[in-house]
Amino acid sequence: MIESQGSAVTVRGKNRLRNGRYREIWPAVFLLPAIFMLGVVFVFPLISVVKFSFYAGRVGDLAPVGFANYYNLLHDSVFLIAIKNNLKLLITAPVSVALALTISLILYEGVKGWRTYRIIVFIPYIIPGTVVGLSFSYLLQQSGILNTVLNRLHLSKLALDWLGNGALSIYSVGGLLIWSQLGFSVIALTAALLSLPQEVNEAAIVDGASKWQKQRYVIIPQLKNTIQFLFVLQIINALAWVFPYVFTLTRGGPGNSSMVMDLFIWQYGFSLGSVGYASAAAVYLLGLSGIFIYLYSRIRRNQEEL
Amino acid sequence: MLSRFSTSRKVGKLSFLIAIVSITGLAFSNTQTFASSAFKSAADPYSGKLVYWFWAESDVPGSTAWMQAAIKRYEALHKNISIELVPQGSDTLQGAFETTAQSKSGPDIAMQWATLPVLTPVWRGQVASLKGLVKPSEMANWLNTSENVSGGEVWAMPLYLLGEPFVWNKTLFKKAGLDPNKGPTTWAEFLAFSAKLKAAGITPIQMGLKDGAFGAWFQATVGTQNLDSVQELKDVYTGKAKFTDPKYSSYLTQLDTLSKKGYFNKDIASIDINQAWQNFAQGKGAMTWTTDGNVAAWVKAGLEKQIGVQMTPKLGTGKLANFHTATQSISAFITSWSKNKQAAATFLSWLHQPENLASWYEATGAFPADKRFSAANIKNPLMKKLFALNSQPGQLWAENYAPPQVDSNGLRPFGAAVVTGTSTPAKAAADIQNSIKQWQTQQPADFKSYKLWASGK
Repeated sequence: MIESQGSAVTVRGKNRLRNGRYREIWPAVFLLPAIFMLGVVFVFPLISVVKFSFYAGRVGDLAPVGFANYYNLLHDSVFLIAIKNNLKLLITAPVSVALALTISLILYEGVKGWRTYRIIVFIPYIIPGTVVGLSFSYLLQQSGILNTVLNRLHLSKLALDWLGNGALSIYSVGGLLIWSQLGFSVIALTAALLSLPQEVNEAAIVDGASKWQKQRYVIIPQLKNTIQFLFVLQIINALAWVFPYVFTLTRGGPGNSSMVMDLFIWQYGFSLGSVGYASAAAVYLLGLSGIFIYLYSRIRRNQEEL
Repeated sequence: MLSRFSTSRKVGKLSFLIAIVSITGLAFSNTQTFASSAFKSAADPYSGKLVYWFWAESDVPGSTAWMQAAIKRYEALHKNISIELVPQGSDTLQGAFETTAQSKSGPDIAMQWATLPVLTPVWRGQVASLKGLVKPSEMANWLNTSENVSGGEVWAMPLYLLGEPFVWNKTLFKKAGLDPNKGPTTWAEFLAFSAKLKAAGITPIQMGLKDGAFGAWFQATVGTQNLDSVQELKDVYTGKAKFTDPKYSSYLTQLDTLSKKGYFNKDIASIDINQAWQNFAQGKGAMTWTTDGNVAAWVKAGLEKQIGVQMTPKLGTGKLANFHTATQSISAFITSWSKNKQAAATFLSWLHQPENLASWYEATGAFPADKRFSAANIKNPLMKKLFALNSQPGQLWAENYAPPQVDSNGLRPFGAAVVTGTSTPAKAAADIQNSIKQWQTQQPADFKSYKLWASGK
């Protein structure tokens, strides 16, 4: 009796255990297709890029070269210019966020027609990058509209060769990047501003805070997370999303002076079929982006711990 | 609870690991992704659907419209064939084809510039041989086929001849006190003319650099003048010679001189070559290098009396300095994956029928690359002069002998860098040499094929 009771308990225990395991496994089984799809669209290309970076030649006719692509890239003057230019473009992140913050605060203060202004500021963001680039290439040419206007206003000293001067061209690209991305930041910051609790603002006013003090010590600190997010987004844009602007505005020129990493990767990978070299450059770019994302996550974690 | 959570996490991690391993396996099993596959050609030369990637508009304004009309005529003659014309852009012509070739799909007929831009896809197995598809008697009429010969076979069909004439604006020459009917024939004369034009407040040379083409064009016209043969030109790409040798790179010093003396238009770096030609036609510069097709368009626009044409002023002492820069320009070839190769070949041959050659010339003013085109069709004296230049034996377009990677990453940007002052002639020469080295290491198969081809095999 005791024995049979004991065996029944064992069977029940085993069943419970089995049911328990099923319950643990089932969710993971349902997750598998999603993980697989994520793998197909994200991990597979990533692994392929890393794999190709160790080869020379073109797809279908590859020859292993070890780390030669990585080594050669570090001695490739054009690639080094591209990295430098991407790093120069990082300046667009603080400028863009500061501008967006200023505009958002002005709009938040209840300027008449602020909704319309917000839409106007947002328009450049929804125009395709190639259209923006092409339009600005005519605007910024040495004999383009901007310089014609400046000359007519007797401001010839300001009428520079925005695209044709090797020292200026990358900053022209940066200016365009700020112009086209500003709308998104303004919308994000305005939305964040509108969701702030009004009580805090009112308390600050009751406490005698000036307009500037209210913005500096009450409003802006509450926008910290949004500002940080936009800052990281702009950094990623400056590193990896400038292709349409550079391609249409300067094509990396004059003489590679405005070359950026994504144009470099496109040239080798797609235009010339040197997939290994392009992949190694892409891995460097990924590493560079990874550094910034890591720094961002560290800052976030430190703040959360505080 | 904690143990259940831990087990669940383990299972989750395991699933993730399985997915990653499967995907990694998939990625590594795919190194030789595209094995060659054989396609059957349709036997009927007048049936099927053809996709034709076309480029010529930049060389020859009006060419796309002519080709569209020609296709309509052909489809009317042969009801079972349909041809889709897809115009291509200069910037993306090579890249788009390379991308589509990797998936072995896309056009049945594609176009690339002659010699290396055609032969590179040939060596990569992306082009079908014309042997057996086009009758030798037909091909014997085509001009400049030697530009696209590898392994003893012709791989592409020429459509028109294209010279790179040096042109000048007679009105502006007169304004500067120069003889409007005489262009500069030597480099010293060219510099003297430029100085005189500049002193008269006229932009001596109108050109555009944004697309980078001029960096390579200048090499083609001036940079080869110290060489004695095409073989010498090939030597620099096979590694037998170095680009830093002044024999190859002294043209960069000439480019630097022209730039430093302020002989180019101020906006040279921010406009492309087509814009520069438009500016030249509007009288915004006294001299430029252009194409026959553009001269033909200017003649049609009534500018004939204002324009003088000739060969590039002579600078070098090599035998190649005596030859005009000309080529068959863009060449049409049949892709190796086309399912209608015979239909494609029949259509290409039809384009060379005498009535089409005459119609092409009438519509575009560009000279058909075919012996059957009679010089008697050319009535305009300016165009006659260009045809005579293009018909000279020994003419070549040096840029075509550069591997596409060296052309787009070496000759073009570093030539432009000298003009804009972001590089020196010596540094640019070293950078071009590096780009040659890069191509040799990054494309070992192409390099091997190039060496074989350069050795005449």
